[in-house]
Amino acid sequence: MRLAELQRRMGRMLLDGASDPEWLALLADSPERREHRLAVHRNNVRHALLNVLEAAFPVVRQLVGAECFTATALAFIARHPPHRPALYEYGGNLPVFLAAFRPLTELPWLADVARLEWARNEALFAAEQEPLTPARLAAVPVCELPELRPQPHPSVRLLESSWPIHTIWDAHQPAGGSLGAVDLERAETVLVWRQNGTVRQRPLTGGEFALLAAFVANCPLAEAAGVAGEQDPKFDFAAALARLLSDSALVQQF
Amino acid sequence: MTEARNRTFPARAGIGLRHSHLPEFLTALQPVAWLEVHSENYLAPGGPRVAALEQLRGHYPLSCHGVGLSLGSAAGVDRAHLARLRALYDRLEPELVSEHLAWSTVPDGGFLADLLPLPYTRETLEAVAANVDLTQEALGRRLLVENPSTYLQFREADWDEAGFLAELVRRTGCGLLLDVNNLYVSAANHGDDPLTPLDRLPLAAVEEIHIAGHARVTTPAGELLIDDHGSAVAEPVWVLLAATLARTGPKPVLVEWDTNIPELPILLGEAERAEASLRETRDAIG
Repeated sequence: MRLAELQRRMGRMLLDGASDPEWLALLADSPERREHRLAVHRNNVRHALLNVLEAAFPVVRQLVGAECFTATALAFIARHPPHRPALYEYGGNLPVFLAAFRPLTELPWLADVARLEWARNEALFAAEQEPLTPARLAAVPVCELPELRPQPHPSVRLLESSWPIHTIWDAHQPAGGSLGAVDLERAETVLVWRQNGTVRQRPLTGGEFALLAAFVANCPLAEAAGVAGEQDPKFDFAAALARLLSDSALVQQF
Repeated sequence: MTEARNRTFPARAGIGLRHSHLPEFLTALQPVAWLEVHSENYLAPGGPRVAALEQLRGHYPLSCHGVGLSLGSAAGVDRAHLARLRALYDRLEPELVSEHLAWSTVPDGGFLADLLPLPYTRETLEAVAANVDLTQEALGRRLLVENPSTYLQFREADWDEAGFLAELVRRTGCGLLLDVNNLYVSAANHGDDPLTPLDRLPLAAVEEIHIAGHARVTTPAGELLIDDHGSAVAEPVWVLLAATLARTGPKPVLVEWDTNIPELPILLGEAERAEASLRETRDAIG
């Protein structure tokens, strides 16, 4: 058997668990040993990828339980093995998989909680960039301020959900809120970002979300403030901007 | 270029840097001669782990150990992955760079996150030698190739593993990363003597040595050793390390521990024991 064929067929056996007698006959090992030895590689593949998903989706795992998470993750791994060897990138399409995974449709918020956890994973590994500080903003001539275009830090992720995903996530942290605080009727928008090497997140008001979305769309400061005010009559622009600056969530684009 | 870097690399004991030990390293430099990292863990554009390694890099000699290039792939190595490795190595300037004699990537593009076995045939040698040539050229560095732990052996073979590696070294000029635990595990799994390959490998090409713990499992078809890097180095592997060093002379020795990772002092204790083995080798040489 040519090497390419040998590798394609072994790969299939490792991912889908099926046996390939013709392939196994290539081995010098005795017939009774072959399956047990192949199982070492099956376990290696599954454990390595399962560990990556467990580390990236700890709250999803708590929500469904360890056993169900393992079964779900193995189904995902068999259908969507990683395409690249950098495994910090693996798992980004688990949320879409969960949304369509029949055994879990009773938990309609699960896929959005997974999106939130993936956003946290992306924030952890995003590029570094100097944040925009209040001092640097103060140094901008007043006449130029309305036209200034602050940008979100590369780690910033904005999430919109019909479910209270931040509150659900928080209730599953060691020092987090209580499950009693979860009101499944409430939609939440969440900001995820990295500050001083730590991933943070907080729910946003409608105005804050509109402001950040405008920054993402490269709107100048004055226009972004206007959009946010229209969205949310109680929006306090100065307070929202000050908080984003103290969170190191913005950078300056010149 | 490569020789100048390698000359400064200490023939001492190092440890694999793991995320759970980063806080201790960032609080105070730890007493170990050098560090090794898995390259793929540091390919991200930013974040605290990359920042920590860049900070520590100034204080320790560094070896970058790739676990994903798939040198044994019939379909060739992934050039995009090579380019990312090159960018990482240009930034970190590791003194040593290594990969495995194994494959991990299926021809249609899936990465299987394991080091899978190769038939040691002429066809495989052509593929691996071409991949090693391309890698050394793309990285601008001499590559060390590590002997794998194996559980399966193919009927069809033109060489045994040691002979295959000797041929690979001769053809590509690559170096060897000799994993003594892998020698032991493979020999036990195939009923061979672990000393045999030591007489057949091109030991002059060895630039680095690995040791690690392995697991012993019982299957209905007999006992199997598994290279899980999940425990202290086993006694027979220490003995084999001494036998190896007696033949190679002092070389950089790395203690790997990747699953059930212990508290840092335990890992540093293993490195101290490797230092003692290196001292004994020097004393014996005189």
